[in-house]
Amino acid sequence: MSEEELDPVIHAPARLRIVVTLAALPEGDNLSFTRLQDLIGLTPGNLITHLRKLEDAGYVRMQKSGSGVNATTSVSLTSEGRGALDRYTVVLRGLLDQAAATQPN
Amino acid sequence: MNEDVGTKNGAGLDDTADMDARDAAAIMQDAGNRARRELRVNTQAIYACAGVAWLLGYGGMWLSVRGQRPYQGPTPAAAFIQVVLIGLAAAITASVVGRATSGVGGFSAVQRRVSILALVIGIVAVLVLEAAIDHAGASRSIVFGVFQAAAPVLVTGVVYVATSASRLNWPALGLGLWLIAVAAGGAFAGPVGVWGVIAVAGGIGFLLIAALRPAANR
Repeated sequence: MSEEELDPVIHAPARLRIVVTLAALPEGDNLSFTRLQDLIGLTPGNLITHLRKLEDAGYVRMQKSGSGVNATTSVSLTSEGRGALDRYTVVLRGLLDQAAATQPN
Repeated sequence: MNEDVGTKNGAGLDDTADMDARDAAAIMQDAGNRARRELRVNTQAIYACAGVAWLLGYGGMWLSVRGQRPYQGPTPAAAFIQVVLIGLAAAITASVVGRATSGVGGFSAVQRRVSILALVIGIVAVLVLEAAIDHAGASRSIVFGVFQAAAPVLVTGVVYVATSASRLNWPALGLGLWLIAVAAGGAFAGPVGVWGVIAVAGGIGFLLIAALRPAANR
């Protein structure tokens, strides 16, 4: 097992935080862009960049409501995103177990 | 708030090279803990607060009817105290829920609104039914004793069961079933005893769930 097996879309600190944060919500729920920003601690520009990468991969869904200054965006993890995070976690656990097994006592 | 922001400052953040498996695990743990801490409603505080309000409110009603011959029903002072306690518990619940669920939309938000609406409609229906039973000539011990004490508890229990069943929230489901049992069983204690039974059994039910909640969250 090697680090190349980790999904490159998720395997970036900011995107990993985003996906893990959204996965903490029950299925069917979404989070406003501003609350997500508070939880992740990124600038709006950074956050939107990472969200678009995740959206392009089909891992998150962004929905905009309202217009102008009242526009709000909500973000949710798709079932593909949940599945990708599960697979990422499995590979990560394997890598950590492998590293622990090869570590000298 | 306009969130349609520029993306120029997000360029060049594809920083996978700096993160190994250990870093990723640490990030996952940190982000997961923070999300759970901030987004999870502190139901322990809500149940504890409701338990105390329930115990004092129903306990006060029981003290006000104890020894009445013939039975007249709870005094206005006891009813006022109960309304104030319910108001306080509702305000604390709204504050705790509002803090955790700010910015959270979707199924949970809709479910919360529907549950509150069902509870309000249920309690209003109980009050209307109470007036109808009184109008039909039922005795004060039935209208302002057994029915007034037990019916709102039955409605609360049914709303708890219906709400918790959709997401299999076992502690809330258990509490709802317990409240239904307390309302139905407590009615056999008569117009005076029903207030005491509901005060103790209902209050303990809420406090027990509050005490068990941290274990359920682990």
